[in-house]
Amino acid sequence: MSGANGTIVEAMHISRVFPMPAGPVTAVADVTLKIAPGDHLAIRGPSGCGKSTLLHMLGCVETPSAGTLLFNGRDVSKLSDRQRSLLRLRRIGFVFQRFFLLPMLTAAENIELPQSEADVPKADRRRRTSELLEYVGLAARADHRPSELSGGEMQRVAIARALANRPGLLLADEPTGELDRTTGEQIAALLDRVNADGTALVIVTHDPALAERCTRILSMRDGRIESETTA
Amino acid sequence: MNAMGFAWRSLVRQPARASLGVLGVAAVGALLFDMLLLSEGLVISMRGLLERTGFDLRVTATDSLPGQGPLIPNAVAEAQAIATLPTVRSAIALRFANATILNDRPRGFYTSFQGVAGTAQHPWTILRGRDIGTGAELVINENTATRLQLAPGARLVLRAACTGEEQALPPMPFTVAGVAQFPFDTPNGATLATSLDRLADACGGNESGEADVIMVASQESAGTAAAVADVAKLLPHLRVLSNAEAVNRFERGGFTYFRQISTVLTTVTLSFAVLLITVLLTVSINQRLGEIAALRALGFSRWRVVADVLCESVLIVGGGGLLSLPLGGLLAVGLDTILKRIPGIPAEVHFFVFRPDALQVHLLLLAAAAVIAALYPIRIVARLPIAATLREEVGG
Amino acid sequence: MIPRRIAAALASFVAAAATLHAADTLPHVLISRQLSESEHIAVGDVVRLSASADDGAAQQFRVAGVYEPTPDPARLGAVIREVQLHLPDLLTLTREPGMPAGSEFVETINVALVDPADAAAFSRDVQARMPGVSAQPSTGAAESTGPFLVLRRFHLAIAIVTIVASTVFLLALTIMLVDERRAAVGVLRLIGLPIRRVLVQLFIEGVLIACIGSMFGVALSLVSEGLINRFFQWRYDTALVFVRVTPEVAAICVAIAVPLGVSATVVASWALLRRNGLRLARR
Repeated sequence: MSGANGTIVEAMHISRVFPMPAGPVTAVADVTLKIAPGDHLAIRGPSGCGKSTLLHMLGCVETPSAGTLLFNGRDVSKLSDRQRSLLRLRRIGFVFQRFFLLPMLTAAENIELPQSEADVPKADRRRRTSELLEYVGLAARADHRPSELSGGEMQRVAIARALANRPGLLLADEPTGELDRTTGEQIAALLDRVNADGTALVIVTHDPALAERCTRILSMRDGRIESETTA
Repeated sequence: MNAMGFAWRSLVRQPARASLGVLGVAAVGALLFDMLLLSEGLVISMRGLLERTGFDLRVTATDSLPGQGPLIPNAVAEAQAIATLPTVRSAIALRFANATILNDRPRGFYTSFQGVAGTAQHPWTILRGRDIGTGAELVINENTATRLQLAPGARLVLRAACTGEEQALPPMPFTVAGVAQFPFDTPNGATLATSLDRLADACGGNESGEADVIMVASQESAGTAAAVADVAKLLPHLRVLSNAEAVNRFERGGFTYFRQISTVLTTVTLSFAVLLITVLLTVSINQRLGEIAALRALGFSRWRVVADVLCESVLIVGGGGLLSLPLGGLLAVGLDTILKRIPGIPAEVHFFVFRPDALQVHLLLLAAAAVIAALYPIRIVARLPIAATLREEVGG
Repeated sequence: MIPRRIAAALASFVAAAATLHAADTLPHVLISRQLSESEHIAVGDVVRLSASADDGAAQQFRVAGVYEPTPDPARLGAVIREVQLHLPDLLTLTREPGMPAGSEFVETINVALVDPADAAAFSRDVQARMPGVSAQPSTGAAESTGPFLVLRRFHLAIAIVTIVASTVFLLALTIMLVDERRAAVGVLRLIGLPIRRVLVQLFIEGVLIACIGSMFGVALSLVSEGLINRFFQWRYDTALVFVRVTPEVAAICVAIAVPLGVSATVVASWALLRRNGLRLARR
């Protein structure tokens, strides 16, 4: 599903200002961008430039202080918290730097969790979970808990979890930030594959090598988009 | 995975702290349960004891409780008059005194001493031997029989003490007709009973026919209230007290201490439990804020994460609550044993008496505690800023 | 103290609250505050007292004052309707017809000694000189009385259960709090600090927290002491003190709480420190 002009996300002059005791801080200022189905976008910039905040706004975790943000043609600011949660559950997948897998659940259970929340029938959940574990190459580790997995394996489970409800958009915040180079490359390759299979992908990263793999690269500085390059 | 299953997994993830939380609730819950039993226990037990005597009315000279006020003059005649009322099944006159059994001890053996007149059943149960006849016979309780090694047929000599003043009454011989159980006996008390005439003789023979109380059993078909009305009409100069009114009077008097202490301890216990569970849950939630923010980012609704916290609270309190029942039962037995040592408390009276509504109240209070304890942690997760939390977790 | 049967008779006195002020030759009595309030009798009123319910031989007295009865735990919940007379007036009022004056008796004589420390010796002396008379120091009476001993044990049992429950919760909390610091502890172990050193640090923290917590607990108990006493004094219309936090009680509570708190911290820490430093430091 996408907006009227084929976009998944359309941000028009969005800003995000945080009120602080010492004075308001503008994390994102006047950003305009569109994300279409199948896009492969990297957002890079120095630490504190607002790239994670921008990602959170695109993922409907944060609401803009100004501007208009449309997701599949719907104005996000007009949605209730419940509607935004449903949007994230069914349309958006998140991958975090710190994985945030639930330690008391197995790999398979972590992947099943969002499906269960989306009321997917049990048989379908099991099937989808098996598919995803195969997809990320961890079919043999289905019953292992996160404490029994390596960093790379945990991130692969996190990617599988993010894809559980077949979202149109996957957002990854520094997905290789906690991984070594080799493992990071494996994750990058997996993300490429996810994008190649049709899921729009937005990655926030410091890693130039990871950013170079994307077809669009947004450079941010001081909350603004400095430049956009296209491969 | 539904909220309850999720909460169960969250708890099982840290078995030590979950077990300790449940055990803590169990200990507190046991105390809470016991305080609920204590609040009405003495009253229920006393009511039951009064009813088991078989008499549901007590007639006295004044508003004082039997044995604490003046004697009823002509009590025997008045008991006979009461017994003829159509709403009354039987009536007996009872008088209380004390006695010292003279034996080889320098000061003798001190006992309480009762005298009864009337043909109805006597307020004691024969265990061995037989009941008193018309002669100088008496029945003794088990304590007296054991300590003085007396059996039916034995003879003894006693000196009565019938008023609060020092007296020098002549000793009187009696024969033990039987060993009986007296409903209001204290655990270590010694009790003797004879006919009212024999007791009056032992008291000097000047106060024949007087008694402390007339005990009345109403006809089942008529009921207590009708009998009270009839007796009050027949003998307007006397005071008639039903068992229910006697219990009310106990409630307003010394028994009220236990109700009040149970109220205070129930309040303190519950507050304590709520506070501790709140702290447990809050610390647990604070350690998992990153996970909760991630779940919210993945699409878990605010209400879902709130339900998870509530279910955790319910599981801790529910598990502890179930365990608290057998613990509370054991504790009640121990506390009852302590309190029954209060001097003057009959052996048949208990301070902790189980009743179904106490169990209901216990479960309701625990349920309320689970909800209230979860309020603050629920507030934390409901208002959790997702993005800021995720940033903080990454920032460390 | 008056004989029991007299108390019963006095409870049924006739309150003829005349507003006429008769000649002031009437003997004086004091009435309890509760009696004054329930029967609306004021100072200066004239009342008639009788030893029997049939109003026989009633005598007039003037109410000279209203007093607050000494709080009596044994009469908790009872409305204290009392009258205090001069002893000769009481004896005159309650004397049996035909009984010669001077042959009455009292049940108790209260004695105030010049030096209260002599109470035990005085009691022994009185009993030796007057066989059949029981003399007891009043300070020992309360403690040796059965109901108070039993209630003390009851409250002690409740306290023990509360302490057990608190200890369990305390252990749960300290495990959680120590666990929060597992990464830091793991790093300390990895860089070479011995277990003992880390344990000492945690022990000192535990002592500080336990001491501060105990002080807070004592302060809280003092506040609740006031609240509980006020509530029950209002509820029972009495001046009886129900809860008293004495220095001894506070010291016992601190002496129990501090070691418990410290022990819980040490136990929780010990369980953690036994694990491999690498496992502790790993997230």
